[in-house]
Amino acid sequence: MTVAERNNVVEHGDRDAQPIVFAHGFGCDQNMWRFVWPAFADDARVILFDHVGAGGSDASAYDRERYASLRGYAEDVLEICRELNLTDVVFVGHSVSAMIGALAAAAEPERFARLVLVGPSPRYIDEGDYSGGFTQQDIEGLLESMDSNYLGWSSAMAPVIMGNDDRPQLGEELVNSFCRADPEIARHFARVTFMSDNRADLAQVRTPSLILQCSDDAIAPRPVGEYVHAQLADSRLVLLEATGHCPNLSAPEETVAAIKAYLAT
Amino acid sequence: MIDDALLEDTAEDLFEDAPCGYLSTRLDGTIVKVNRTFETWTGLARGELLERRRFQELLAPGGRIYHETHYVPLLRMQGTVRAVAVEIVGADGTRMPALINSVLRHDAAGRPQVIRTTVFDATDRRRYEQELLRAQRREHDIAQQLQRGMLSGELPAAEGLEVDVAYRPGDAGLEVGGDWYDAFWLDDGDTIGLVVGDVVGRGIEAAATMGQLRSAVRALASTGLGPGALVSALDGYARRHAIGRMTTLVYAQLNLATRRLRFVAAGHPPPLIVKPGEDPCFAEDGRSLPLDAHGVSAHAREEAVRELPPRSAILLYTDGLVESRSRLLDDGMDRLRREVAVHRDEAAADLTANVARALHEAERTDDVCLLAARIGVAAR
Repeated sequence: MTVAERNNVVEHGDRDAQPIVFAHGFGCDQNMWRFVWPAFADDARVILFDHVGAGGSDASAYDRERYASLRGYAEDVLEICRELNLTDVVFVGHSVSAMIGALAAAAEPERFARLVLVGPSPRYIDEGDYSGGFTQQDIEGLLESMDSNYLGWSSAMAPVIMGNDDRPQLGEELVNSFCRADPEIARHFARVTFMSDNRADLAQVRTPSLILQCSDDAIAPRPVGEYVHAQLADSRLVLLEATGHCPNLSAPEETVAAIKAYLAT
Repeated sequence: MIDDALLEDTAEDLFEDAPCGYLSTRLDGTIVKVNRTFETWTGLARGELLERRRFQELLAPGGRIYHETHYVPLLRMQGTVRAVAVEIVGADGTRMPALINSVLRHDAAGRPQVIRTTVFDATDRRRYEQELLRAQRREHDIAQQLQRGMLSGELPAAEGLEVDVAYRPGDAGLEVGGDWYDAFWLDDGDTIGLVVGDVVGRGIEAAATMGQLRSAVRALASTGLGPGALVSALDGYARRHAIGRMTTLVYAQLNLATRRLRFVAAGHPPPLIVKPGEDPCFAEDGRSLPLDAHGVSAHAREEAVRELPPRSAILLYTDGLVESRSRLLDDGMDRLRREVAVHRDEAAADLTANVARALHEAERTDDVCLLAARIGVAAR
């Protein structure tokens, strides 16, 4: 199995142009970028992928030890870059993938030209003076919430999730299909994501970066974005008018414009 | 007679007192319309809600994260989301389990404008689901305790003898698997009995079957039966009591004084024998069918014998070690032989741990069991 197969890598645009890698966060898959990537396909090599366990990735490649920290996911990003022979990479990471990109760039800085961090948070849980926005209890609540949601559709979804569905008629009945994931993997990913603490890693990042901070983002509140900005050496913070945690879906034009403006500098 | 007046529902009645909560929000979640049912359920009057609160702010924190990371993206991508479980926090702080459905409404130009949401009280359903989950976890715990209880006995120890085991339960969800091992002294005080077996099925039933077969093997061994006769007797036991049909196992007796090894492999992968100065080698003889195999009447069990030089080792294992979804049995057995060759000089505890780790598969649903016994060992 190639890395591209494992991570369901999909390419668009000009193969000889500068590569832009779009990484989705916790919850859904590369479809999160569907309103954004087309704006870059004319003059860049667009690379989309799914984290192992999400979307069209090969769930059998999931290894609880490898993915017990975000470093496993960062290693996947580097493996994709190596296999596709990417250099001078612009990495656009949403939500937890913002930190995954930061870890990858800290590990192999020579590969990356710029980072675009959409709604980044190096630590979701409050600790001492640091306010991440959540308590340990809140995260337990998320896991319960995931349990009760998977109860409803996991058994019907299981064959589809596992990729060996021989009942194509199910395809039409699929609801919530863009956020399909193996429940056990999704649960583990949630835990790894929301329990992680990557604050100390920010100081290791030398790649110039853009932080896109939404207004009223319940997952990554503004003080967190400002913290990331303060810790990242060569960073710029742009406050979007978009509300919520997913400007790539709710305000794609504004998101595209902010990324393009940054890349033009 | 039905009162006609009750049948003449007005649209307003249908909306306000519907048996579900109705909400309309802007795209950022700001509530712009709400029905009476929702007000009653939450204890929040529309004056406190309209243009003042966002729907996601009414959710318990865990559900709020789920809302932002799953619900909102799905709604944007599909235009509709169905039957998502959340908890809505009412005015007095109580949490009402609910199922919510939403559709995204667009203007004439196709731009999304408003989210319409229906809210269903799921209190009883959630309670039932939690009971199911609890029951499932309890069953898993019981099976695991049963399995652990049976596998936690002391391994035989003596000068010049090393016996150790690596055992990793499979991680296929909540059910425990059916692999077991055992190692014990026979009554002559010179011989150890070694068993590794694999019961069909999973869960409490498999764990209970394991326990019965394990006791039966020990009891039969104490009557002085050799491996062939013992497994034949075990066949009879399985058939008479309808227990453990199609179980596979290797049963071996190893005499420490004579260094003679006798074994039977009943439908089970062959033991691996490591003699000093020789490549590790699978013992392909002594083979027969699984216990109480379908349609086969009781038959004698072929028994194999080896005279082992000092410092020889025998390894018994289950198919979970060598077979998986992504690996063929033959490849797995080749791997096993190579890994054992690498770690052959290590103490039995390290040998089993390192080989099990090396053959560890990313997605391993089956149990993995590897038992090693080495004789004639100089003090380490």
